[in-house]
Amino acid sequence: MIEIHNVSKHYGTTKAVNDISFTVKSGEILGFLGPNGAGKTTTMKMITCYMPPTSGHIKIDGVDVVENSMAVRRRIGYLPENTPLYDDMGVVEYLQFIADVRKISKDERKGALNRAIDVCGLGDVRHKDIHELSKGFRQRVGLAQAIIHDPDFLVLDEPTSGLDPNQIVEIRKLIRNLGREKTVIFSTHIMQEVQAISDRVLIINDGVIAAQGTLDELKAQENSKQIIFLELLGATQESVKSVFAEFPQLNIVEMSEGKSIKLQLSNDKQDDMRSSIFNSVIKNNWTLLEMRQHQASLEDIFRQLTSTGGMS
Amino acid sequence: MNEIMAIFRKEIKTTFNSPIAFIVIVSFLVISNWLFFDYGDYPFFAINLADIRGLFNFASIVLLFFAPALSMRLIAEEKHHETLELLVTLPLTDVQIIMGKFLSIVALFAIILCGMLVAPITIANIGDLDMGIVFTSFVGFFLLGVSYLSLGLAASSFTKNQIVAYLMGLILIAVFFLINGISTTSGMMSTIIENLSIRFHYQNFFRGVIDSRDVLYFLSLSAISLLISIAALTNRKHA
Repeated sequence: MIEIHNVSKHYGTTKAVNDISFTVKSGEILGFLGPNGAGKTTTMKMITCYMPPTSGHIKIDGVDVVENSMAVRRRIGYLPENTPLYDDMGVVEYLQFIADVRKISKDERKGALNRAIDVCGLGDVRHKDIHELSKGFRQRVGLAQAIIHDPDFLVLDEPTSGLDPNQIVEIRKLIRNLGREKTVIFSTHIMQEVQAISDRVLIINDGVIAAQGTLDELKAQENSKQIIFLELLGATQESVKSVFAEFPQLNIVEMSEGKSIKLQLSNDKQDDMRSSIFNSVIKNNWTLLEMRQHQASLEDIFRQLTSTGGMS
Repeated sequence: MNEIMAIFRKEIKTTFNSPIAFIVIVSFLVISNWLFFDYGDYPFFAINLADIRGLFNFASIVLLFFAPALSMRLIAEEKHHETLELLVTLPLTDVQIIMGKFLSIVALFAIILCGMLVAPITIANIGDLDMGIVFTSFVGFFLLGVSYLSLGLAASSFTKNQIVAYLMGLILIAVFFLINGISTTSGMMSTIIENLSIRFHYQNFFRGVIDSRDVLYFLSLSAISLLISIAALTNRKHA
């Protein structure tokens, strides 16, 4: 379990991360979502002992990352945003170096190396030098490095950035597989990525948590406010206003008049208002050209939560 | 210790993946020996004296230019390729990282030391060489080299640009080497400045004695440089 308690990180006067708290349960895959510069990388750097928080505590299975840094580091595999590879090393040479630093014993080393190479699909390139590899394979070597000591926790900072669509699909699959036995935190600024990989999302913006929960929970939150689009023929702006004034829970968000009247209504209450609207349209002898209910996509949630003021 | 050795092994391997180390070592030895045997108004054979001190004198100046070339990549390259971020989150302390890297260039310097044996052995065969002076000069040269390399490592810890690391290292070493040049008048100040100078302490070894003050000077200079390197690495935490 990863516990983040009231953690802040200040760079001079800028608050990169401002009093955030969350927990990641064992075996969970957490998608860490936010626009660039929201504080994702900073948070990950604090979890992986790159730098300590300005205030607050981070505990990995109850072990504090500052007080017992070395014990924490042994249990975490970390893939920083810019894949940290030595270009002049071979793939195996590089993984051997990591195994060496991580003090994997001589007897286990060969097995650990083969397992990492196997899991990350590096079999075909294991005898190549790192500078010969494509971006996708470089990322796999980075992942292999992070899992070579079979850590319980994986922290992956934008693991799919800069990859082509096929490589992205493969890396996502790889992360999902790794997540079966490990606790994984990965960051991204792409909504679909979260949908494709993780169990739970944490949206961070301007250094604070804007929302968290499972994808369904987030969708449900957003959907609770029904948005209805209408296109009507034979109505006037005034008549439309007076008719919908009968329903206090409906608000006209937008209205425009051309050949027809287009309007957007928001519903403050939970119940579906579409049948009532339809009946009013009939009663007033208008022609209904279009009526649709807006389904909030993850993009909408993301945009709503991370635009300017965050949660408004 | 295992961790230090892991970094040490990696550094040695990467060093020999590129030709820089070979070029530096060979050029250093060729230039130092050429200057000693064949340069200036009084080259070795013209003096007709079995005296090795000239070699170590030239070597201390030539090494001033070559030592930062060995140390420049140590941290700067890791910063440039952003591999430092991985290194400092592995189960390694900052002290272990710096010590592993430092020992790796000291090992390279040991190759230079072996190369420096050629001239004394040759001269000992053709003349009557004072082996005591050869020995103390070697000790002095070893301490000098270690100090140069530590200063170079400190310079490398502050930048991600290897050229900047080289030049900063060169300037740093040159300042410590030449600082006694400004002490013209006698007095307290002059003594202090003289005692800060690499050249002043280095030349004492040519007399055939090993003075603990000189040894202490070089060891302190190295230790302070290494502490500064470690501090530079740890400084990320407060950025």
